[in-house]
Amino acid sequence: MRRSNAIGVGAAAASSLLLLFLVLPVVRLVAAAGPQGAARLWSDAELRQSLALTALTATAATLLAALGGAPLAWLLARRAFRGRALVAAVLDLPLLIPHPVAGIALLLLLGRGSAIGSSLLSLGLRIVGTPLGIIAAMLFVSAPLFVSGAREAFARVDVRLEGVARTLGDSPWRAFRRVTLPLAARGLIASGVVTWARAVSEFGAIVILAYNPKVVSVLAYDRFTGFGLSEALPVAAALVVLSLIPLTALRALRMGDERAVA
Amino acid sequence: MISAAALRARVGAFSLEDVSFDVPGGAYGVVIGPTGSGKTTLLEVISGLLPQTGGLLTLNGRDATREAADARGIGLVYQLGFLFPHLSVEQNVMYGATDAALANTIARRFGVDALYARSVRSLSGGERQLVALARALARRPEILLLDEPFSALDPPRRAAARREVRAIHREWGLTTLHVTHDFAEAGSLGDVAVLLDAGRVLQSGEPADVFRHPKTPYVAEFLGAENIFAGGVTIEDGAAVFHSGRLAIHVAGAATAGPCHAIIRAEEILIARTSPAPSSARNQFEGAVTEIASVGPLWRVTIEVNGATLVAALTTYSANELALRIGDTAFFTFKATAVHLC
Repeated sequence: MRRSNAIGVGAAAASSLLLLFLVLPVVRLVAAAGPQGAARLWSDAELRQSLALTALTATAATLLAALGGAPLAWLLARRAFRGRALVAAVLDLPLLIPHPVAGIALLLLLGRGSAIGSSLLSLGLRIVGTPLGIIAAMLFVSAPLFVSGAREAFARVDVRLEGVARTLGDSPWRAFRRVTLPLAARGLIASGVVTWARAVSEFGAIVILAYNPKVVSVLAYDRFTGFGLSEALPVAAALVVLSLIPLTALRALRMGDERAVA
Repeated sequence: MISAAALRARVGAFSLEDVSFDVPGGAYGVVIGPTGSGKTTLLEVISGLLPQTGGLLTLNGRDATREAADARGIGLVYQLGFLFPHLSVEQNVMYGATDAALANTIARRFGVDALYARSVRSLSGGERQLVALARALARRPEILLLDEPFSALDPPRRAAARREVRAIHREWGLTTLHVTHDFAEAGSLGDVAVLLDAGRVLQSGEPADVFRHPKTPYVAEFLGAENIFAGGVTIEDGAAVFHSGRLAIHVAGAATAGPCHAIIRAEEILIARTSPAPSSARNQFEGAVTEIASVGPLWRVTIEVNGATLVAALTTYSANELALRIGDTAFFTFKATAVHLC
């Protein structure tokens, strides 16, 4: 009994230390510059534009991740096909490589010197140094998170529910729309939220592919290197607040899930 | 009508091998088999949810081998119901219904209409099974497949649901295939019994015939026969006698000499405390009672005879009247026609 108590106290102490380490810097940052950051929203036009650009590009990247990722996630969850393990490994790749390296790789693929980049340029689509470049960088680093979450959401829907719907006259698409999609919806939305949050917080790949126009993470870095900590703090605080929006939404979704299960 | 000819399917390491049986149009077929024998897989193949890898499946006279699940006109009820958790009970019942009035009538017959406003998550296991039954029938399927659909119901509601399914089966002439572990259920419901084990059909036919004339000792044992003896038949003075060790049993009919198994169902054996008067029953044994056990509404009495054990079944009333105890002498009697050789 005494031994198990000691283990419990030890685990609680170690957990508390880690949690403090994770929370304290963010709390300290918001406490130090939160009000100043909020005030800057009125006075700092560049910060306002940067926040809007970040939110818009992250939303676009999330929508694209959902558009291509949902069918892929369904395939991975439902179909046994040759090369499935390879596809899963490929999806882990963007999560494993350092993000500036991801940015360089994207630059090689989409830059004006590349075949794809020059073709897109001839169509009037410039990637490097544009919001399209930001979206490409965000999509590259965050899409695997959507696929992973969506795959789990689809896998959690019992395939026999779809089977019953089929015997009740539904075509495969109709069964998907009436049964699978509503049951996986919470998981899909949660995956979208995580993807959006990851896109918002991206810096390494974006800074290589599109330093300008500046998303908030790049703006914070730019202010820090150009004007010092005092100028970077309000921008960083604004980014933290922006990141808290999806986190709060995710929590609300999960609480809804728990209520539904209970 | 369901006709399976050398049907094959594979799910992971498990496979259905050359499954063949026929359930005529409007008949009630029962599939019996131990856990893991492939009963649910068989229903999923018939309903088109699992692909068949060989053989021919004919449903109501048409080749359904390549037919999509939504075109087969099949109602499938799983043991766990698999109700749609994001819909209410009423929405579940109406899911595939084309005639709301018929769906409501079916729901009323199973007492499910009283649950309409309830969330699926709040239902008991038995209620889920009733809703699943109503949902499948509300569509008025051409063929009904039932996978242990009454297992979570209490005895009175099980009997009522069974009656209702049987009544609808008769009214609509609905071809039905029902998976069950319950031999009594199989006997009372089925026109055709299919015995499945390890993905293969061991025997099929009329339930009474399958129960009384199992093709192998394994089938007999699976169907609850307790007196199974390995031995051989010899012809003595023109009559066939089965020998197993020191046990000699008279056998009726044109039995041929050679090794075989003898099976006598416990219900076929009469028990007496005193030596019975001479009768037409050719087999009479005297032995000491070694075990008395209650099994549901019946009692099982075991006696030791010539190194073998014989088990007889009797009602509680008879058991009370005989008042047998362990060690008492008892007399077992059965006719030669009660002995099945295989």
